[in-house]
Amino acid sequence: MSTTTPTGPPAAKADARGGRLGRNTQRLNEIGLIGAIVVLFVVLSATAPGFLSVTNQLAILRDAATIGVVAWAMTLVIVAGEIDISIGPAVAFSSVLLAKATGEWHIPFALAVLVCLAVGLLLGAGAGFLRARWGIPSFVATLGLWSALRGLAQYMTDGLPVPLDANGFLDVLAGSILGIPTPAIIMAVVFVVFLFVANRTAYGRSVFAVGGNAEAARLAGINVSRIRVILFATTGLLAAVSGLLLAARLGSGNGGASVGLEFDVIAAVVIGGTSLAGGKGSLLGTLLGVAFITVIGNGLVLLGVNAFFQDVVRGVIIVGAVLINVLLSKRNGARSA
Amino acid sequence: MSNTDVVAEVRAGTKRYPGVTALSDVDFAVRRGEVRALLGKNGAGKSTLIKVLSGAEHLDSGEALVRGTSLAGLGTRDVAALGVATVYQELSLVPEMTVAENLFLGAWPRSRGALDLRRMRAGAKEAMARIGVDIDVDSPVGALGSAGQQLVEIARAVAQRPTLLILDEPTSSLAAAEVRQVIDVVRTVAEQGVAVIYVSHRMDEIRQVADTATVVRDGRIVETLPVRTASTHEIVAMMLGTAPEAVAARTRRPSAEPPVLSARALVSDRLNGLDIDVRPGEILGIAGVLGSGRTETLRALVGLDRPASGEIRLRGEAVRPGAFAAMLARGLGMTPENRRREGIVPLMGVDENIVISDLRKVSRSGVLDRRAIRQAARALIDRLAIKTARPGTPIGTLSGGNQQKAVLARWLHAGSDVLLLDEPTRGVDVEAKRQIYDQMRLLADDGRAVVFVSSEVEELADVCDRIVVLRGGRAVAELSGDEIELNRVMALAIAEE
Ligand SMILES: Nc1ncnc2c1ncn2[C@@H]1O[C@H](COP(=O)(O)OP(=O)(O)OP(=O)(O)O)[C@@H](O)[C@H]1O
Ligand SMILES: [Mg+2]
Repeated sequence: MSTTTPTGPPAAKADARGGRLGRNTQRLNEIGLIGAIVVLFVVLSATAPGFLSVTNQLAILRDAATIGVVAWAMTLVIVAGEIDISIGPAVAFSSVLLAKATGEWHIPFALAVLVCLAVGLLLGAGAGFLRARWGIPSFVATLGLWSALRGLAQYMTDGLPVPLDANGFLDVLAGSILGIPTPAIIMAVVFVVFLFVANRTAYGRSVFAVGGNAEAARLAGINVSRIRVILFATTGLLAAVSGLLLAARLGSGNGGASVGLEFDVIAAVVIGGTSLAGGKGSLLGTLLGVAFITVIGNGLVLLGVNAFFQDVVRGVIIVGAVLINVLLSKRNGARSA
Repeated sequence: MSNTDVVAEVRAGTKRYPGVTALSDVDFAVRRGEVRALLGKNGAGKSTLIKVLSGAEHLDSGEALVRGTSLAGLGTRDVAALGVATVYQELSLVPEMTVAENLFLGAWPRSRGALDLRRMRAGAKEAMARIGVDIDVDSPVGALGSAGQQLVEIARAVAQRPTLLILDEPTSSLAAAEVRQVIDVVRTVAEQGVAVIYVSHRMDEIRQVADTATVVRDGRIVETLPVRTASTHEIVAMMLGTAPEAVAARTRRPSAEPPVLSARALVSDRLNGLDIDVRPGEILGIAGVLGSGRTETLRALVGLDRPASGEIRLRGEAVRPGAFAAMLARGLGMTPENRRREGIVPLMGVDENIVISDLRKVSRSGVLDRRAIRQAARALIDRLAIKTARPGTPIGTLSGGNQQKAVLARWLHAGSDVLLLDEPTRGVDVEAKRQIYDQMRLLADDGRAVVFVSSEVEELADVCDRIVVLRGGRAVAELSGDEIELNRVMALAIAEE
């Protein structure tokens, strides 16, 4: 059994697909999602009256922004192996803060907006600091925020909406620019920024490294604590932005708004193929996840499904989508890993 | 020997990964009572063959059999039930659990539905005693360090009383005394009729433990031959596919410059008044047995651990102990001994794993420059001959030795002045070892300081300009230049107080 034949081709010039295993799975997932969204579109345009109308499509864009603006930041949080569940209350709280600041506290409007953003950022950074400095799991740190901010927002308003005086800025936020809903434009801009940050900056790549192996990242000289604080500061900031959009849309600050928003956001990220275990994920996937969830929500309303039952349907669809995603990556993995 | 003696077999086995054929038309069989060594360069396919035989991977074509049962469609559990126990190359213990819990992972002894802690601890003590190792079975595995963990893995495999025992580089982080114990255990179980497959890059060890050796190269079996009659030169030539270069005698050049990094009277859990001087322009070896404080010394020097007392000076200035980030910023770099837990980011590409130590170098005004990343990574991949399908291949899919080289490449990228290398040749093949030594020499000649920790005294004696011997957390001897002789270092390292 002695052979000394020349050996096979060196690995270096082998097959160009080489090894991008994670990416392949990601691609598959994205193609699958696009397929699912197309199917949804076809089915809904046949069954749901008015689904394809321009008004409805613009409404979908507007709804997508409610989830999307925060979902981009959430993608990085989850890639880093963390989670932020404080989104819904943070959004509601920010809307209340704006209404209170401009109304009752007589703070000039522009300053009030800045205060809202700053407070959102600091609250997020605070949760991140608890995680980074004392190792409090981010689920717990943001669970604290989730409870405290909802409570504070309701307490400050006695559970009633606080009306906002209309002004030009709010009108623009609530309205459209060149026919496109302003929130959708903001969502798109933030998306592009995050796409860039995630792939082309040291910060973005460090987030992936921390999620992939925090200890290795630390030993390679990455300031893991700093990254963690920034991550939660960004979700906090973008939740505040969402809060401003909400306030503009409702014309009031509303402590009881955005219930369960965090779950839509997290679901969109996870459906998009980002792993809750960290280290792996894509913003493009999240974009598709946001589209998927928003279209389903819109369709269920148009089809006149009972409001309570809508939640049941959505729950089943979300878990189903993630299950397919997991099975896909398993199959792909089994073939090549 | 009759065919009924064959315990495990692969027939015409082929296994492909994206971009690589890890096994190509392999025929392999191992019999009862035989200790078979698997030899080959990094990435030759040794671990892949082992994973196929343990049910962790499945062949694309061909057949794998254990005791006549085809492994097609079987998982690791099913294969374990056939009597196969495997120690994988990468440690696979739960660090937070105790040694005893890990030894019985997933098969904890129970009585009336509850865990039987007493039986578990007794069984664990017996398992450790069987391989002749004294480790507290109640301590968490994470507290043990690589060597201790490796011993626990071996004890776990042996305790399963397998018919086929597979050991993938079981001794890569062990020092001479523990290696001796492992070899004795393997010989004993083989005499009881167990078939053993043993992977190692250390030829002297192979000679002591194995009866026969199978040489693998680029996924093919080159030859199977009796170990006793084959010369090392012959075997290495088969592994490499070419005759190995003659080793040039190395001239030792201990540096006379003032130390760039020095420590005085360091005291911590494992350190006990440690003094050490690291000079630019030389390779400083740190020798010592398991638990002598080698890793702790590096961690203290680089600021990962904060010693209870003592002083550390960098370029003459006292530094705050435990200031890791500041030390990196001032030109230190360290490769950790446990590459999977502390070294690699498995899902990221080899390229990003390398440049991660300094992303500014590959950025232009804050934006990462893909081209620069590719160039920097390519240069280092070539320089260290890292075998990877592409620069962007996830590093977790590389063979162990190649991962190790990439982690070293990281600090070459950062351009550190002081390199602290904890077992940098762990799991690295003969040729690659030489490449790593050459790199260390180049760095030293370039005026940098290299600190080299290894449990293989042979390589320390071969490569270093100066060697400090640690015992019980203290530097007990220093040899420099021509004072360095293998026997002397060995004697000093294992001498009792
Ligand atoms: N999961 C995987 N995905 C892709 N390629 C892989 C995977 N596992 C191994 N490979 C590739 O298969 C080849 C053989 O790897 P293997 O781990 O068997 O080498 P090895 O002989 O054990 O090397 P070492 O001495 O470094 O441990 C290598 O080129 C490696 O990159
Ligand atoms: Mg291997």
